[in-house]
Amino acid sequence: MPVLGIPLDELFARYGATIEPAELEHQLHRFGCSVEGWATAFRWRCPSCGTLSEGGEDAAPPPACEGCGADLRSAATPGAPAGEVQVLRMELLAVRPDLFGPEGLARGLRGFLRRESGAPRYRVEPGSFSVDVDPGLAGPGVHRPRIVAAIVRGLTLDDARLRGLMKLQENVHWALGRDRKLASIGVLDGLRFVPLGFDPAQPHSALTPREILAKHPKGTAYAWLLEGNTKAPLLADAKGGVLSMPPIINSEATRVTTATKEVVIDVTGLADRHIDKALAMVVTSLLEACPGAHAETVTVRYAGETRVTPDLAPHEVVLDPAAAGRLIGVPWTADEVAELLRFMRHDATVVDGQVRVLVPAWRSDILHPRDLVEDAAIAHGYDRIPAVGLAAATIGLPQPREEAAVRARAALAGLGFLEVMTLAITSEEATYRKTGLPDDDRQATIENPISVEQTMVRVSVLPGLLETLAINLGHSYPQRIAEVGLVVHADPAEETGAAETMVAGFALAGDGLGYADARSALDALLRETGRDAGGVRYRALDWPLFIPGRGAEVLDGAGERIGVVGEVHPEVLTRFRIIHPVAVAEISL
Amino acid sequence: MGAVLREVEVRVLEALPPGQEAVGIEELARRLGLDQSPVAGAVATLAERGLVAVSEESEDEFRAGPKGSGWDGAEFPERRVARALVAAGGEAEIPALAQASGLSTKEVGESLRWLTQRGWAVKDGARLRAGAAWTAGEPALEPDELLLRFLAAHGPARRAAVLAAGEALDAALGRLAQRAGVVDRRERRRRLVAITVDGQALLAGGIESRHEVNELTTELLVSGRWREAEFRAYDVTLPGPAAVPGKEHPFRRILQETRRAFLEMGFEETRSPWVESAFWDFDALFQPQDHPARDMQDTFYVARPEKAALPDPALVDRVRRTHEDGGDTGSIGWRTRWDPALAERCVLRTHTTAATARALYADPKPPRRIFSVGPVFRRETIDYKHLPVFHQVDGIVIDANASFAMLLTLLTTFYRKMGFPRIQFRPAFFPYTEPSVEVFVYLESRQDWVEMGGAGVFRPEVTEPLGCTVPVLAWGLGLERVAMFRFGLSDIREIYLAHLDWLKETPLCRS
Repeated sequence: MPVLGIPLDELFARYGATIEPAELEHQLHRFGCSVEGWATAFRWRCPSCGTLSEGGEDAAPPPACEGCGADLRSAATPGAPAGEVQVLRMELLAVRPDLFGPEGLARGLRGFLRRESGAPRYRVEPGSFSVDVDPGLAGPGVHRPRIVAAIVRGLTLDDARLRGLMKLQENVHWALGRDRKLASIGVLDGLRFVPLGFDPAQPHSALTPREILAKHPKGTAYAWLLEGNTKAPLLADAKGGVLSMPPIINSEATRVTTATKEVVIDVTGLADRHIDKALAMVVTSLLEACPGAHAETVTVRYAGETRVTPDLAPHEVVLDPAAAGRLIGVPWTADEVAELLRFMRHDATVVDGQVRVLVPAWRSDILHPRDLVEDAAIAHGYDRIPAVGLAAATIGLPQPREEAAVRARAALAGLGFLEVMTLAITSEEATYRKTGLPDDDRQATIENPISVEQTMVRVSVLPGLLETLAINLGHSYPQRIAEVGLVVHADPAEETGAAETMVAGFALAGDGLGYADARSALDALLRETGRDAGGVRYRALDWPLFIPGRGAEVLDGAGERIGVVGEVHPEVLTRFRIIHPVAVAEISL
Repeated sequence: MGAVLREVEVRVLEALPPGQEAVGIEELARRLGLDQSPVAGAVATLAERGLVAVSEESEDEFRAGPKGSGWDGAEFPERRVARALVAAGGEAEIPALAQASGLSTKEVGESLRWLTQRGWAVKDGARLRAGAAWTAGEPALEPDELLLRFLAAHGPARRAAVLAAGEALDAALGRLAQRAGVVDRRERRRRLVAITVDGQALLAGGIESRHEVNELTTELLVSGRWREAEFRAYDVTLPGPAAVPGKEHPFRRILQETRRAFLEMGFEETRSPWVESAFWDFDALFQPQDHPARDMQDTFYVARPEKAALPDPALVDRVRRTHEDGGDTGSIGWRTRWDPALAERCVLRTHTTAATARALYADPKPPRRIFSVGPVFRRETIDYKHLPVFHQVDGIVIDANASFAMLLTLLTTFYRKMGFPRIQFRPAFFPYTEPSVEVFVYLESRQDWVEMGGAGVFRPEVTEPLGCTVPVLAWGLGLERVAMFRFGLSDIREIYLAHLDWLKETPLCRS
């Protein structure tokens, strides 16, 4: 999970007070934020685009400018030191992107720590700006047919806020936008189309959309989002000048700087729910960051449909306070539930014994009234929930298959075997070629293995046992090891297409040990596990695993194979570099 | 006063040369016609009484090694190859020599180096030419050949015996320095015994011997002669030979303790297949189809079997509607289209929550408590703290009176049973529970809180489509961490790629 660095000075400025680090960490954990630690981050200014980037704690500039990607360690574009800042490092909680910046986090903490209550109000005025959506974008083959937009005026951006805005945009892309797939945010200030990172002083460096996808670093990074689509939207102004090419890139001329007083924020995507939430998060965070600023609406006109955005209207949910209290196990009154929810920045009032909750537009995680019950529990504090024991009488019942395994393990321990546990996924190479089990092509195979050593689910525990002997070549002999566990075979008759069998296997290694020793342990195991009921017989088995004439299969009364036993062939031992005789056996339980 | 000695002790004293010349215990036993162990026992007693002196010397012992003892007639392969080469007219293709000499191709290949070194043959591309040593008939055996033949005939022999037989030992060993497995050398320690002045004086003065027994035997019991016997006292402070019982794996004990903890609390054990449908692993748990955890990056997809059968169409439809718009659950859903083809895909189960979801659907009537312990699979590269397979315990409580408070109490109880008295709960997010909580335990060894797993109340979007309308408490806790803390492991691989020393040395009882 990505880790977020929140500059402490900005958090405290927005919060309105400072908090001791230990206390802040404690409260953030109670609030549901996972604190990774504290750090000093050094800042560096890019000589080509002026963006402030953060380096690591080693006081060396980062390799790439966060704005244009220029190498700040190179002689051509050396980063200029721009001070240091204390940051709080937190793991991003994907469901609460509204907490991803110092503004949003401070807004949450002001409620959670009882400084404020209820939803903050933001000034949104009707605007005259509009977006006309080309009807061609409504058809098939378009990867992002929907757009919302807002204007924010009266901005007072400094370097830190500008950087915060960029980071917020990045993190919302990750969490809510699923890496720009569902929502892609643009913040614009300008008219000509020169992609970010290309020199505006050289007009011929402007690129066509196709060139951007092929050449620009952002284009190549996000081109996959357009795959399979025949049309892609471009954002253009009234004169036809291109503003941006969502979800890939903005125009150089529309780059936001500290001088920017007004921005147009656009969010494009697949469905209104995601882009409305993303817009609400960015707009309200900007308004939190610049207290004098206000927003203006934008009219979005589709063929036959008109929307006015940003839509900051809260979403109403009615909550039964008694049911909420029962679920948590705390006997809350309706007033208490309403108050707790107000501390979580909702507007909440009690109407006829029910709690009427107005969920702010920037909360993207409230799908069900149940989500508000959790909010109330967090505001109450998980550490203040009383202990309640299990009440109803129920009976503990083990799984028969597990109990069979327990008995087999007890028998094997009694026979002097040390239990080993090996990985349940392995490879065809280890199973068939190295160990010499016959390949009946029934193994369950992994489509996307992460290593050549794990490409299938094990069909036997014997390869794992031989591997364990190979790991322990230097250990004293004799060695007696066993494993009891599941093996899997593809089987179309099963619901999931694979059948599982609990097997018990063992290996004996040491000079003088052979078939007779394995056979004697196997007979004891068959007897103790009851697998010999109905009679068993042995029949010679010619597997490459065994020395010819020294391998056998165990057949039950019905003639079904229930196991194998034999002395391991020297060819197999040589492949495992084992230099002592080994005998093995395996039975299904 | 005459000293009282056991019969065997008297015989040992008498057998020792009076000139205080040292004799090996083995030799002494042979002279007396006894096994070594009673003689060694007698020597120890005599030495304690100062009647004999024991010294130790070490000597090399040689024997034919695994390779050398496998050669027919203790004959080196290169000699057989050279003989075959001469028989073929002094020159031959190397591959043809295998059949001619009766050796394997591999053995012929390995002999080339030694043929060259002895000057018996010269390699010329794929051909071999006999060397000068063989032009005037077969050369005599060289020192290493002689040594092997001697050892093959006489069995293991000490350095002194080898030299006494006239072998050029050092020359032979020099030849074999680069050649493992032909002749093995091991160090033998032997104890030498000599009679002391006191011992001689005692012998001269006359000794009375006593019938003392080491072992109580059936014969002694039946005959009643045990009444006359005196049992030799043992040194009860000496250690016995090391013994290790066959036993369960240390991590298995954690898994079994976990099962027992839940069985004791009235939980019924359930199970679910390792190869699981995405439907039960994700969709039934309200995990959106575009959730990153479902990516090829994080989850093992199964190529064979590729597809699983979906359950009852009515259930599938309820799950679909819940994902798309909340269905009848009061939720707004994920607002994206739900694709049954993605639900049919087979995965290696990513959590044991699939097992409890199946059990919930099979019988949602309260009160029920269900748990499952087993391996789960994540697409992780193996390193000291990650494995692609690890174990979880999942559990649910289906109860009309179930509450989040009950869940926290239950988790506290479980971790106390597992040996972690201090527990902390922090809010968290999981797609299928609400409220959700992460469980931390305090580790004295680290002086810090460590996360152990997640829990919560199943979302109505999970329980209602499965046919359950009462609250369902749920948790999924990792178990390898418990084992690592309990056994002080710093590398998770120790559990699965086990060294037998660790398995033997970890005691069954909790440390």
